[in-house]
Amino acid sequence: MNDMIDSILLVDDESLFHLVFEDACSLLDISLTLECINSADEAGTKFSEWHKNPKGRPVCVFVDLNIIGSTFDGIELIRRINFEYGNHVVIGIISSSNEATEQAKALQAGAQFWIIKNDDIEPRLEEFKKDYPSYVNRTANFKIYR
Amino acid sequence: MKLCKDTKKDLLKLAQEKNIHLEGNILKIIDIEGEDSDFVDYIKTATEKDKSSRKRRLEITKQIQSQNKELTTAAEERENLMLNIKNAFDESEKSKQLIEEKNKELTEWKDENERISEELRNALNEAENAKKEAIKAKETAEYDLNILQKKKETELISNIVKVALMLIVGAGIATTALYITALLTGKDTYIIGPAWSNTLSILITNAFSIIGTIVGVKYATGKNKF
Repeated sequence: MNDMIDSILLVDDESLFHLVFEDACSLLDISLTLECINSADEAGTKFSEWHKNPKGRPVCVFVDLNIIGSTFDGIELIRRINFEYGNHVVIGIISSSNEATEQAKALQAGAQFWIIKNDDIEPRLEEFKKDYPSYVNRTANFKIYR
Repeated sequence: MKLCKDTKKDLLKLAQEKNIHLEGNILKIIDIEGEDSDFVDYIKTATEKDKSSRKRRLEITKQIQSQNKELTTAAEERENLMLNIKNAFDESEKSKQLIEEKNKELTEWKDENERISEELRNALNEAENAKKEAIKAKETAEYDLNILQKKKETELISNIVKVALMLIVGAGIATTALYITALLTGKDTYIIGPAWSNTLSILITNAFSIIGTIVGVKYATGKNKF
């Protein structure tokens, strides 16, 4: 239980993936606390509030690249979290996209990892769980989980 | 987290009687160290059941997710197909319009050709009429020229005849005057008498010949007029 992530926030417009992610995290003992929201705008508002009062702020954030129904995409959300709302979380992209240009943009915005979303997400999450401590102490380089 | 004795007892009773177990992340935070074997077994069973149900739910969710993706792909393909059909329809409409425009142009060209053909036919007819009129005018001119020529010839013959008659009449008058003078003066008429007789007969013969010629020419000229 000690190596579990305290709290995770998933920002993804696909509700079904919320369930998949939640069950995968539970089965892999990744985190006890998981919150899923489907809007980048809502996530931005929450981080804006957490910037003033950090109570309830997650320690790790997974952001989808294209969040349908939001006014900005996942990379912009990461940029805002990193450069406008303080840089207190482990943050990265979880997306079905594997475009190098987008990955470069995400790195520039301060993303620490890029997990490629597909039907078999558990092995990637397991690998991420192992790497997590190095993301917390900022020793890991930007990594793509294929 | 440690549970109190009564809670544990209630949980075990619920599991035995109704097969209801705790589930979710709460199982991960219950401390089972130093607990009796029944409760440890209960927690292990509950954890297994929870994992089993989560796995099942995860599989089902993934299946639904996969089906959703297939449906989304199918919908996109259908949308693309509809778009292609629409594009093809638009293209065919454009082609139809183009063909109609070409047909209209062809019809206009055909009408123009027919108009030009009609004009050419009219021009040809006019040319033929002009040709006929020219031929007619030529014939008329030739006829008039012929008539004029005949008239001139007649006038010439008439003049010749007049001169000839005048000469005959003059010769006759002169010969007769000489003969009468010879008779009246008592001169010898041995030569002049037969000469006068011969001359008069010749003159009369010639006069009749000339008159015959005049009548013939007049007859011929009058016949040509019709």
